Amino acid sequence: MTAREMETVVLAGNPNVGKTTLFNALTGKTGKVANVAGATVDLKTGETFTPHGQKLRIVDLPGCLSLNGEAPDQQLARRALLGELEELGKPDLALCVLDASNLERNLMLALEVIEAGLPVIVVLNMIDVAEASGIRLDPVVLSEELGVPIVPVQANKQHGIVELKQAIRHPLPPASGAPWASAEHPVEARQQLALELCELAARRPDSHQSTLSDKLDAQLIHPVLGWVYLIAIMFAVFWSIFSFAAIPMGWVEAGQGWLEGLVAGAMPEGDFRDLIISGIIGGVGSVVVFLPQILILFFFIGLLESSGYMARAAFMMDGLMSKVGLSGKAFLPLLSSYACAIPGIMATRSIDSAKERLTTIFVAPWMSCTARLPVYFLLIPMLLGGSEGGLTQALVLLAIYVFGTLSAFVVARVLRGRLGEDAQPRHFTLELPPYRAPQWGYVFRHLADRGWSFLRKAGTVIMGISIVLWALSTYPKSDSDDPAEMLQHSLMGRISSTVEPVVRPLGFDGRTGTAVLTSFAAREVFNASMFQLFRVEEIEEDETASRDRLRQRLAEETWEDGTAMFRPLTVISLLIFYIYALQCLPTSAVTARESGSWKWAAGQFVFMTGVAALGSLLVYQVGSLLGF
Amino acid sequence: MAHVSAAELETDSLQTLAQATVGCDFRIRFLEGPACEQLRRLGFCETLRVRKLSHGRNLICTVCGTRMALSRELAQQVKGTPLTAA
Repeated sequence: MTAREMETVVLAGNPNVGKTTLFNALTGKTGKVANVAGATVDLKTGETFTPHGQKLRIVDLPGCLSLNGEAPDQQLARRALLGELEELGKPDLALCVLDASNLERNLMLALEVIEAGLPVIVVLNMIDVAEASGIRLDPVVLSEELGVPIVPVQANKQHGIVELKQAIRHPLPPASGAPWASAEHPVEARQQLALELCELAARRPDSHQSTLSDKLDAQLIHPVLGWVYLIAIMFAVFWSIFSFAAIPMGWVEAGQGWLEGLVAGAMPEGDFRDLIISGIIGGVGSVVVFLPQILILFFFIGLLESSGYMARAAFMMDGLMSKVGLSGKAFLPLLSSYACAIPGIMATRSIDSAKERLTTIFVAPWMSCTARLPVYFLLIPMLLGGSEGGLTQALVLLAIYVFGTLSAFVVARVLRGRLGEDAQPRHFTLELPPYRAPQWGYVFRHLADRGWSFLRKAGTVIMGISIVLWALSTYPKSDSDDPAEMLQHSLMGRISSTVEPVVRPLGFDGRTGTAVLTSFAAREVFNASMFQLFRVEEIEEDETASRDRLRQRLAEETWEDGTAMFRPLTVISLLIFYIYALQCLPTSAVTARESGSWKWAAGQFVFMTGVAALGSLLVYQVGSLLGF
Repeated sequence: MAHVSAAELETDSLQTLAQATVGCDFRIRFLEGPACEQLRRLGFCETLRVRKLSHGRNLICTVCGTRMALSRELAQQVKGTPLTAA
């Protein structure tokens, strides 16, 4: 049975009502993220079976407060419900998921969905939270008043899922009428009806009850203490990345060394063995070793989101972000961009203002992502002398992060000023969900998705580049046994000679310039290129020692006049280049998709790379004039 | 002796949500301003009771059991009467 032949059930509802939890409960682990062409948000699709064995396609729509909003996610939800998305066709049934503890607000959207003329089943999720709040729910009365089936569930515990599957079996419920839709002011009419329905079927206790969330918020969003907690939490996250990751990074290095030893023992010497060991295992390994750090950052972001703290952080940051023309809603996308700009850019969909969203997308790649870490780890010790580690190097790394972030804020301020105000003034609103114990399933699923995405990139783009780099630095072969002459004779050597006049004013020789060029597809490739171009063999099972060996080799390199090639000024010039340059093709592709324009992505690439080159040039030339 | 109607008294005690004191329960009387529809979508409407939890550039209040942060400009468009002081 094809996807088109299957009946389609869409999940609609306000943000944060547990739609995705219900989606996962219905579909098991078959849910996948599908990018809809031309859309700016993701739809999740999966499959489920009714108790009679009928297969159904389940589509999780973006959460939205109304179907008439202008935000991209709201437009997508509306188009999907009205059958305007070619990929989905007209849905056969809408499951309208409501937070049972908040029906006054959630019913507004349910009424809009009923107005769309689709068969609707209302799912009252989080009934446990409603009961804990003292709300007296009466689903039978609500069903009679709305004219649609109502199924109470607690999706995170899988309670009520069987009853829900019973409800979506054939014959599907008929579409209900919507007499309130013909009122002169439909928004007010819906609101009035929602309140009347709640009076009948969801009576709330009169007095405001102080909850655990109230007590936590008194501390966590306190005007003074709140900042102490925010800074402490962010510091703990970044400290964990650099301290806890060392152990699993050692495992990756050991695995790489074991694999190299295995290949070396099993294959005869020759070009093919060299390709496998130096080109593929060495090239891919020098990138995969950073997987633990990336996973740790994503773990903490998932934890903060799932617990409800991230919304508080956005609330706290709103005042600060407003100074650069952004709002607190830009905080999460920018924070996510420290891990990877791609999910950061995609997270901008929650920003209501189109101009603020474009600005956030534009500056997100200047939040130093984890792909830059291999380059920083190679270069920072060269700046300070000694091997990797230590407080001074950690402070330099922190300064690099701060430098990139401040630069992004300056550009955001200028760009926001140039884009002008929105046609309709946007006001900051943010729902602060109750604190909840983290949903570990969600956190680890998110982690697995990101880890797999990184490994896929390492196994495709980075492996491809590593093979090309190896071939370029190996062929054509020369008769000499001297590695330097062999490289000089290879295609890579010839490219380096051509590139050198262009990159020399920035302080780089042809080989470094070539390594920079090769890292334009993925910046992590820089280290692998440097190992190949400077003919440094990596040490099995020890990436840190390998980088030490490369640094030692670079320290010995001299220009024709005998002066050191990698002076501190050269290293700073390289660091400046890597802080600013946009060297990530997938980021450009996501920018184009999310902004709806390749011009925006091209402008971002040209601007960032231009700033990187200009910054390096200025630093090197001015520094040289001053005698550094 | 001049008589004052109950409606006039209520009009006198009207204040915006931005002006209400922290910890105060607040009965919404009407929404007035360009962002009324946005407020309605968030759940604010006439006769609803909200509690203001914090003050500042963005204030926090509970509406229909949900904690909501909203800008001062939006809060100024919510008119009502205070019910109790904390």
